[in-house]
Amino acid sequence: MDPSFLSPTWYRVADLQPRLKSHAQIHRMKYRGQTWHVLQDHQSGQFFRVSPAANLMICLMDGRRSVNWLWLHACETYPDDPPTQDETIRLLALLHQADLMHTDLDPDLGELERRSQRNETRAIMSRLRNPLALRFPLFDPDKFLDATFPLLRWLFTPFGMLLWLCLVGSGATLAVMNADVLTADLADRILATQNLLLLALTYPAVKAVHELGHGYATKAAGGEVHEMGIMFLVLMPIPYVDASAASAFASKWQRMLVGSAGILVELALASGAMIFWLYAEPGIARAVAFNVMLIGGVSTLLFNGNPLLRFDGYYVFSDLLEIPNLGPRSNKYLGYLVQSRLFGLRSAQTPVTQRGERGWFAFYAIASFVYRIGITITIALFIASKFFIVGILLALMALANMFVWPVLKGLKFVLTNKALKERRGRAIAWTVVLAALPIGFVTAVPLPYATVVQGVVLPPQVAVVRTEAEGFLTAIAEDRDLRATQPLVALSDPMLGTQEAILTAQLDEMRQRLGAAVVLDQVAAQALRAQIAHLEGALALERRRVATLDVVAPRDGVFLTNIADRHIGRLVPKGSEVGYLVQPGELVVRAVVPQTRIDLVRQRPGAVALRYGSAPAALHHARPLREATESRELPHPALSAAGGGTLQIDPTDPDRRRLLLPAFQIDLAVIDPPKGQRIGETVWVRFDHGTEPLARRFYRAVRQVFLSQFDV
Amino acid sequence: MSDTTLRLPRPSLYPERRVPRETPMDFRARSLLSLAAPLGGSRTRALRRIVRLTNAAALPPTVTDDALRTRAADLSLRLRAGPWPPAPALVAESFALVREASARVTGMRHFDVQVMGAAALVRGMVAEMQTGEGKTLTATLAAITAGLAGVPVHLVTSNDYLAARDAEEMGPLYRFFGLTVGAVVEGVKPEERRRAYAADITYCCNKEAAFDYLKDRIHLRERADNLHLRVESLVTDRPRLPLLLHRGLPFAIVDEADSVLIDEARIPLIISRSVPPSPEAEETYRRALHLAQGMQEGRHFKHQKALNRVDLTEDGRSDLAEAVRDWDGSWRVPVIREDLVRKALTALLTLHRGEDYLVREDKIEIVDEYTGRRMPDRSWSEGLHQFVELKEGVPLSSARETLARMTYQRFFRRYRWLSGMTGTARSVTAELQATYGLKVATIPTNRTPQRRIRPARIFADAAARWQAVAQRAAEIHATGAPILIGTRSVEASERAADAMRALGLGFTVLNAEQDAEEASIIARAGQMGAITVATNMAGRGTDIKLGEGVAAMGGLHVLMTERHDSARIDRQLAGRCARQGQPGQVETLLSMQDDLLTQLSTWSPAKLARLGGRARFFDAAQRAIERRHAAMRRELMRVDSQMGDMLAFTGTQE
Repeated sequence: MDPSFLSPTWYRVADLQPRLKSHAQIHRMKYRGQTWHVLQDHQSGQFFRVSPAANLMICLMDGRRSVNWLWLHACETYPDDPPTQDETIRLLALLHQADLMHTDLDPDLGELERRSQRNETRAIMSRLRNPLALRFPLFDPDKFLDATFPLLRWLFTPFGMLLWLCLVGSGATLAVMNADVLTADLADRILATQNLLLLALTYPAVKAVHELGHGYATKAAGGEVHEMGIMFLVLMPIPYVDASAASAFASKWQRMLVGSAGILVELALASGAMIFWLYAEPGIARAVAFNVMLIGGVSTLLFNGNPLLRFDGYYVFSDLLEIPNLGPRSNKYLGYLVQSRLFGLRSAQTPVTQRGERGWFAFYAIASFVYRIGITITIALFIASKFFIVGILLALMALANMFVWPVLKGLKFVLTNKALKERRGRAIAWTVVLAALPIGFVTAVPLPYATVVQGVVLPPQVAVVRTEAEGFLTAIAEDRDLRATQPLVALSDPMLGTQEAILTAQLDEMRQRLGAAVVLDQVAAQALRAQIAHLEGALALERRRVATLDVVAPRDGVFLTNIADRHIGRLVPKGSEVGYLVQPGELVVRAVVPQTRIDLVRQRPGAVALRYGSAPAALHHARPLREATESRELPHPALSAAGGGTLQIDPTDPDRRRLLLPAFQIDLAVIDPPKGQRIGETVWVRFDHGTEPLARRFYRAVRQVFLSQFDV
Repeated sequence: MSDTTLRLPRPSLYPERRVPRETPMDFRARSLLSLAAPLGGSRTRALRRIVRLTNAAALPPTVTDDALRTRAADLSLRLRAGPWPPAPALVAESFALVREASARVTGMRHFDVQVMGAAALVRGMVAEMQTGEGKTLTATLAAITAGLAGVPVHLVTSNDYLAARDAEEMGPLYRFFGLTVGAVVEGVKPEERRRAYAADITYCCNKEAAFDYLKDRIHLRERADNLHLRVESLVTDRPRLPLLLHRGLPFAIVDEADSVLIDEARIPLIISRSVPPSPEAEETYRRALHLAQGMQEGRHFKHQKALNRVDLTEDGRSDLAEAVRDWDGSWRVPVIREDLVRKALTALLTLHRGEDYLVREDKIEIVDEYTGRRMPDRSWSEGLHQFVELKEGVPLSSARETLARMTYQRFFRRYRWLSGMTGTARSVTAELQATYGLKVATIPTNRTPQRRIRPARIFADAAARWQAVAQRAAEIHATGAPILIGTRSVEASERAADAMRALGLGFTVLNAEQDAEEASIIARAGQMGAITVATNMAGRGTDIKLGEGVAAMGGLHVLMTERHDSARIDRQLAGRCARQGQPGQVETLLSMQDDLLTQLSTWSPAKLARLGGRARFFDAAQRAIERRHAAMRRELMRVDSQMGDMLAFTGTQE
């Protein structure tokens, strides 16, 4: 016989006459049209699916029939899928472990004690193995729930459902309407120290209500709830309720109700809090409401209600699809695909038992993996921004859990699994290929590498046009090509004319008085001459002021000005910038390169390309004018975050001109400037560094992180 | 035991060590830890101290025999008062007594290295002593000390002959101290076995001891604890105690520890009983054979002659299902019915009368594929044998039904104290530690060994090798030195014999297991001019005494004609010569067609022969096979612990 069909240890169980204990329960369930028999282990709270043949054997265990008889009978009843002897032994072991079976042997007290000790050790071990989620059962809430459930029964009616819909619907609408108010400065608000404390207090409270939701939903479906306690999830105490009785419900809708009760409760809480938050005065109560919204809304969407993580949403989802154990089986399915398709292992066992599971498995395995990685890395980075070492440790742990262990396990399978014996060569080859692809891509394939920063169009210092006198604006030149000495800006000062007339008149008077006095009185004539000289000087000054009221072009060029016709008539103080007179090609682009990239820009100079904000489609070329210089001065307000740019301004600087992070400024001459470029226009600047594999970049980035964090 | 000695009641009726049932996790942890075992050093400091104390406690030859016995009785009381293993001072005192008595009774006084080895035994270690250092005598020190301390001793040997021989040779020494000696060998009746096991010192072969224990376990399946047994003998009229063969597993000294504890531990022990075939079973076999006879090759099944394998085709399966549609019982289970028919086909097509089996006196006798010998006790697997019987029209033999099953690993771990001796423990230090918790103590040699080992000569094919073996034997024979030609199998012995017959040399062949007569042949193998051909069975434990003048001619010559699966067996064979400081020579003559290479390689022997002689192939092949065997033992242990864990609900482990 097929050696795997028989077991060499069969003789030890063949004559046993097992009897099922009275508290053993097998639940009959429907999954995707198939009947499953699910055995409940009250000791461990686990559920096991048993095959129809195993179900038959269990049902026939009456203490008189021998195991051998049961097995033969099951083989004959299910000839196409007969249970193997090993499977039968495993089933018996399972029943024994779960304390569901008597045998005709006297109870072995030593063995009973060993077993209970082992269960205890296992419980302790499982706690130690998962120190981030310690569970401490506290009490049996069944009586409490029974007593209070009548008060809440109305919630589990169509009316209750309708009420819930109204509440959550209005909450959601309000949230959308007030999205901008809600999300403004979100990170600052959440991570403020006072709020963290408040959050830590609110969280367990919300979760307690959440758990009661599970408990009452179980009651509503007729189940029992016998354990409630505190779980320390990442050291945060959170109440939990053991609603595993729900797994035994025959109706998937009931199971889903219990599973989703927590989500429903939290969403309702969040909606209530939303309404309260809108109409309440600022204060502690409003802050609490904000946190309730945060927990009930965001954490439900991202974590608890999300089917891609193994929380409530996952169980609801797998019940909805009628695919129990969706997560583990999805991963198994991927493993099976690799084994059967790539390694050609014909003995590989597919976890697919029903139609339609294939697609879900493939989708879920990949989607949940990607989501898990994304969310974990995000959390790790979020924490790293506050507590660097903790964040890095968390990230490493997550990487180990998601990549290193699975890879090691896979390697162990490929190298040592017996089933692969004859196909090990092929398996290893495929493994090498699969591993080489991403590794090779990351380490060997050079990819375009460039630094992209923002810059701004600025004139050179010589081009600034200033007024030389104070006056009222009367005319401005068009910003077209101008020749030297052509007027740019015309000013007028009515006081100037009057003053000149007065001075001229006074001068005339003095000159006549001098003519009269020159022969009569030499001394008086001397004094008059001095006055005339003074007046002449004053007049010359006045005349020069009139002459310089109009600003003329100091050279040929294009006059760029922000002054428009509507400014005519305004008083312009002396020495104000009224515009720039620039020659073609004279405008520079000043780019701000963050410190982390300056080394690359300096060491690996390459082509510099520009895209103007006003015409992003066109590509222009530039060359650096001089070495980059370190400066924290913001070259132009357009580059600051407030001005629509990317640079963060040091909030402590009263002038709002100091950059938050050290940066370098580099002036670029545009080789092929576009027509009509404007001063202050933002430009995307791309410094090309040739090509480089990703691994080197990653190394550089990590190196810099460690440099900045540890000075190593 | 003499009348003067005190005999105390047994505190425990069936003492054995309770080995805690271990989970696969424990097993893995232990294996990991044991990797550090070889780092432990040779642990000889404490042992050397006992040697010093023993020498200090040496007794003058003037002490009378009676005075020795009186001292022994006094020491016995002190030993019994203390724990086992006793304090070094007591051990040394006992060793000194035994040493002196041995000199008087057997004429052999223990060397210091033997005292050191015995100290290792008392401390529950494996004493690694070079071949030919007198392990049999070493064991007496530890055995008598235990006997005086009231701890029953099992001296476990690797075969019956050694058990009987050692019990016989060392008996007088034990009896000098008033200790009783028993020997358990094959064929001994249960009554005698019980008596032998009840003796203070019991010599037994590992197989006998383990099977007897397994038989006891069948009786003791449930409730084997001391209290139960005691109460039972008081209240029930059919207590189980008198049914038992052993009186527990107290202290074992395992000779050839690597062979017994490691090499033989690859295969589990099974006790089965025969179940006469029921009429229904016979009818089932008959029907299956009939169905098989109606099948056509190609359409219903494929026969791969090279692999001796028959497989049903899809058509074969569906036609079979159609044919048995109205039958009930196991016929309805495809796995079972297809297996039955496939076995019937195998019996019909691949097993041929005269080649694979003979029919004698209404019985099927299997012919060994390799040696061509009849194996009357062997049978094919369940079902296949019955089909051949049906095919030949002889009465159906009984099926075997397993009653109990155990591994050697589990058996030896149940001894309350375990120790061992071997010449070759080095390569298995870690495994001894992992499996049995045994540490290895390396004992220095008494005198510098004078064994000369010549480099191996390698021939392309087997024929050339046998010729060279015969020629070499003739050359050595001409000098008059005795020659031992070690072979790997009975078949190889015969080929060696053929080659030597061709050169007209006179020789003796020793095949299969030793019995007393063959042992005397071995004893003569050291005489001048003797040529002895022996399988590796002769390798262990036998002491070939050199004849007069042989030492001057360079001692015994060992010609190794093949390498064995394990380098340790090779070393054992080499250890037959140059014992206890005598001279000796070892030569190896190999061929590229040796089993060692062919069983590993997928190449044909002819292709291997073309490779020419390469010594490193043999080393590599030996290592590969040793690894494979170690993996098999690990797997056996793993499955054993896993099943033991899973089958906890059946109450017993056997």
